[in-house]
Amino acid sequence: MKCKRCRRAEAAVDLPSHHAAFCTDCFFLFFRRQVTEGIRKLRLLAPEDRVLVCVSGGKDSLVLWDVLMDEGYETEGLYIDLGIDGYSDRSKEKVLAYATSRGKTPIVVDLAKEGIPIPEAARCVRMQECSICGTVKRYFFNRVAAEGKFTVVATGHNLDDETARLLGNLLHWQRDHLARQHPLLPGTDEGLVRKVKPLWRVSEVETAAYGFLKGIDYVTEECPMSEDATSLVYKEALSRIEDRMPGTRIVFYKGFLDPSNPLRKGPEAAAPADAVGTPRACAACGAPTYAETCSYCRMKERVRKARSLRAAPVSR
Amino acid sequence: MYNVGMITVRLPQKKMELELPGPRRVMDLLAEAGVRPTTVIVTQGRRLLTKDHRVEDGTTIDVISVVSGG
Ligand SMILES: [Zn+2]
Ligand SMILES: [Zn+2]
Repeated sequence: MKCKRCRRAEAAVDLPSHHAAFCTDCFFLFFRRQVTEGIRKLRLLAPEDRVLVCVSGGKDSLVLWDVLMDEGYETEGLYIDLGIDGYSDRSKEKVLAYATSRGKTPIVVDLAKEGIPIPEAARCVRMQECSICGTVKRYFFNRVAAEGKFTVVATGHNLDDETARLLGNLLHWQRDHLARQHPLLPGTDEGLVRKVKPLWRVSEVETAAYGFLKGIDYVTEECPMSEDATSLVYKEALSRIEDRMPGTRIVFYKGFLDPSNPLRKGPEAAAPADAVGTPRACAACGAPTYAETCSYCRMKERVRKARSLRAAPVSR
Repeated sequence: MYNVGMITVRLPQKKMELELPGPRRVMDLLAEAGVRPTTVIVTQGRRLLTKDHRVEDGTTIDVISVVSGG
């Protein structure tokens, strides 16, 4: 198969969803254009932005960091060590190796040192690992961004992630979630930083191919705690549809993002639906919250209490 | 020792390895391994293989799942 763009070189990547196949060089151009167009169309980033890129050691986030650096954005990487046996060490290793290869030192948050490693937190707080993880990550995105004077936080969510989430929100008619789902969540004056997903136009296969061809070494294993995540069910359903009708996913998502779509209120609807009044500072850490203390601090307090109960001598 | 007359298909995430007779196209090897082509990239050393690429006997290829959770 020949490259559909230069028509000379042998194709290295075939992309049925784009009815295309590219040689390595042409694929690099194609992929970067997909990302930069996605950034430009939705005005995710400005040239003067200071971007905090959240890297997990997986392909998407490392590819995102790679492209943003190549495109000349000022970036730093943030790695959150979740404290998951084995998996966290291996993913951290990949992040550090990649960062070193680009002359960077990532900012590392160690949840064990913060007193809230995910496996222990999941035992103490009766919540799913993934939702605990989500709360903790959002908390540190904001905190590290504020401390480091970053103007925006970027995550590696791709088209497959976003359409899986969209399908889930639609199937359950999560109207408030639908109203807010967008690759751009604006920041607020109260200390929530702007969040963007610059890979929203590219699929998982594309980021994997880009990462591989660029020689980026990433963790291919999955987080052991996310094994039965429902998002994987939606992903598989969409992927089967995509197999039969290539290009469906991007049509699905672009149609959703269309400003005339009444389901979506757009970036301006970013405030949480349960928000009442104006947020105040968390009594424990100062982060913006609608309660006395923020959800992160409440979770951490429950882990601390569970620990002191265990440490206390057992009375009969 | 591997049989040099066969194609070795490794699926590292499933900790699986198959030996299949060649020559065969990547898409046929994937079908044999029960893997949907759009959920993986297929590599041979530093090379990425397209789904119509013909794999010869004595070759080892890796099938890497691209589906991430969360
Ligand atoms: Zn080409
Ligand atoms: Zn707090």
